[in-house]
Amino acid sequence: MLTAEDQMAIEQRLADFLNKSEAQWSALVDKGGNLFAQSGDTGTLDLSILSALAAGSFAATHELAKRLGESEFSALYHEGHGQHILMSALHHECLLVTIFGEKTNIGLVRFYAQQVTVSLNELLKGASEKEATAEPLQLEGNFLDNQATIT
Amino acid sequence: MAFINYSSREIQLKIVYYGAALCGKTTNLVTLHKQITHAQKGELVSLATDADRTLFFDFLSLNTKTLPGFTTRFQLYTVPGQAIYNTTRQLVLKGVDGIVFVVDSHWDKMADNVESFANLQENLIENHLSLVQIPYVLQYNKRDIPNAAPINYLEYTFNNRANRALAFEAVAATGVGVLETLNAAARLLLAKYSKTPNANVTGMSRPNPTVAVPPQSDSPQVGAGNVAA
Ligand SMILES: Nc1nc2c(ncn2[C@@H]2O[C@H](COP(=O)(O)OP(=O)(O)OP(=O)(O)O)[C@@H](O)[C@H]2O)c(=O)[nH]1
Ligand SMILES: [Mg+2]
Repeated sequence: MLTAEDQMAIEQRLADFLNKSEAQWSALVDKGGNLFAQSGDTGTLDLSILSALAAGSFAATHELAKRLGESEFSALYHEGHGQHILMSALHHECLLVTIFGEKTNIGLVRFYAQQVTVSLNELLKGASEKEATAEPLQLEGNFLDNQATIT
Repeated sequence: MAFINYSSREIQLKIVYYGAALCGKTTNLVTLHKQITHAQKGELVSLATDADRTLFFDFLSLNTKTLPGFTTRFQLYTVPGQAIYNTTRQLVLKGVDGIVFVVDSHWDKMADNVESFANLQENLIENHLSLVQIPYVLQYNKRDIPNAAPINYLEYTFNNRANRALAFEAVAATGVGVLETLNAAARLLLAKYSKTPNANVTGMSRPNPTVAVPPQSDSPQVGAGNVAA
């Protein structure tokens, strides 16, 4: 579980990565498809769909690679017409998803992605060590009566 | 895994619809997408074959206000029911918070239902999880078909345990019982993460008498078993 501080620190790293690489948007997503932190702009795209699909395609390709005997699987790259997607494996069941356009190129994005991956892994390691000793997630406050009903 | 996004003040919870091939998992999400008017809903994304069989998953996200100051985002997924897609089912279960197990009421599908329920438990173990920690509800779907197995038979087959799960009769194709099923799963989850599980949750063993399966007289704590985690 990430604290508010962890999340801010991660978003800071992501913003810095976008600055250097001139990529458009970047996010830390877990392999279950949850969006943990993000930076940049995707316009009107639905980010939860983006995260679910990114986690799904990464998981499927990873599984494929495993069956081919590839134990190491660190990144997945999709080259589009105007927009490209790079997904990089992180530790602790997470991945870094980056979307970039014509302002930059895959070499540059990959280079800075490798750098930020190292510092994100450190942050995630710290967070998971804290989590090991932390109380389980409990939400303060009462759920609003009846509004806990989806309609 | 439940996750709080502090910057967007959002709680994210993942609910997976599980069950045998053609039992109606995708139909549940399609119906929800049509029925839900108040909650903020995303697009329904289906990774399916040309014949509308789920290949990877369906995905629908719903935003609701449940806790003062926070939005709860329920991420709904379905798995592909066909036997060959087991690896995919394991992947979709990653980070699951709650499960809706959909049972096909057709007599001829009983073996498939039972196998799918066993498969769910195996795949949870693969993900280092189990039905003891993961809140789940049962949905007896396709109650409209003429040769539907009787409810007490389904209860005996899928819900014959000390802490009975909440169970709902449904006709996913027309929408009967679909929202009730989701709301029960949603409340079980919120109760699990709440410091003060509210009366709403423990009191919902009969959320809607016309739809919910009435608890058997010898098991007073229907549904409560999953609440106090
Ligand atoms: N009669 C009846 N048919 C239903 C009901 N719910 C779903 N169906 C039908 O059952 C068939 C299969 O439904 P799906 O929702 O695609 O099943 P699924 O569980 O997603 O199947 P897979 O993706 O292969 O695992 C469709 O033809 C639906 O119209 C119901 O309540 N009653
Ligand atoms: Mg389906």
